[in-house]
Amino acid sequence: MTQLLLLAAALVLLTVLAGLWRVLRGPQRADRLMAAQLLCTGGIAALLLVAAAYGIEAIVDVALLLALLGAFTSVAFVMAARLVGSR
Amino acid sequence: MTAGLLFDLMMALAVLGTAAWTLAARTQFAAVIGFVATGLLLSLVWVRLGAVDVALTEAAIGAGATGVIILYVVARLRGGTAEISAATPSRAQRALAALLAVAVGGVLALAVLNLPDPAPSLAEAALAGSAPLGLGNPVSAVLMAHRGLDTLLESVVLVFAVLAVWSMAADHRWGGAPGPVFRREESGPLSLLARVLPPVGIVVGIYIAWVGADAPGGKFQGGTILAAMWILPWIAGLARPPSITDWRLRLMIAAGPLTFLCVGLAGFAVADGFLSYPPSFAKPLILLIEAAMTLSVAAALACLIAGPPERRLPPESMAADRR
Repeated sequence: MTQLLLLAAALVLLTVLAGLWRVLRGPQRADRLMAAQLLCTGGIAALLLVAAAYGIEAIVDVALLLALLGAFTSVAFVMAARLVGSR
Repeated sequence: MTAGLLFDLMMALAVLGTAAWTLAARTQFAAVIGFVATGLLLSLVWVRLGAVDVALTEAAIGAGATGVIILYVVARLRGGTAEISAATPSRAQRALAALLAVAVGGVLALAVLNLPDPAPSLAEAALAGSAPLGLGNPVSAVLMAHRGLDTLLESVVLVFAVLAVWSMAADHRWGGAPGPVFRREESGPLSLLARVLPPVGIVVGIYIAWVGADAPGGKFQGGTILAAMWILPWIAGLARPPSITDWRLRLMIAAGPLTFLCVGLAGFAVADGFLSYPPSFAKPLILLIEAAMTLSVAAALACLIAGPPERRLPPESMAADRR
């Protein structure tokens, strides 16, 4: 079961890493930001799978923190972009 | 272990790839996003290594708080091309720095590869030392008791960091409110998020700080979430930062180190000396310090993100703040 869950986590990560290409390439800021969001969401999924695989509950807290700060960071990026645009 | 090995290889390649790309990024915005992505992947690596405490810290402070601080620096530096190029090190300096970094990294890697098996470790001692304090998390026991002085100095550094940022202000803006003014968003996704997320986030932040005594978590991670939950309504224009002369703000920032110092000094009277806790009363004292520190970390990080005071408050609103 542990192997299966880890394999699932690796698969999730693989799809996320495909999205990482967009973080790196852009070309628009929005592309990067959406891909970074995907990275965060996929990271949460991978963390939850790893938490189940090893039975370590504290990893769920890391996922919880990522869920909160992921949303926050995206908003901060949008506002910073707006701040730059208005100047 | 094949699935685990696959996972590890992918992670290692991804971290190295994003890190290299972040260094080579052409625009500053792209570099910041690369930095945050690297931090996120690093926190996954820490989880895989079994260091959940470090993973939490990396996700909260490494990727989240530092990412946003650098981001607002980038936003502020727009138009300051001359200052940026004056502060940018020359090509030779950068090459030297890269060489030094590679040398240090290489020597560290060699040292890790040549460790005896089993590697020398203080984990047993830390585990044995955490039980008498009533703490279930050996990391917290090390941070708060065995290496308490380091943590105390760290907490003071945070106050100095805020002072350093504030001292960047022009003279006539001293006493004003920190950071740019954001337009008030009455409707739309930002306003919704700024109203819906903080109640959840504040609970989670306090939870992460509280659970640190017995499980991975603690003041820095919890405080970061609390700071983020104030930044959100601030950038939505729903919350106004207080003036930097407001004594309540200053008290919040200093509360943590002050409590830590008081408890540390009390150790002379009730225990074996500076920063030692009486065995029967260790946990409540540690929790008291952690609570005050959470508040201070939250206030200090919010101030670091908001930046130096950028405007003077009109006299009447300052009077209203005093009341």
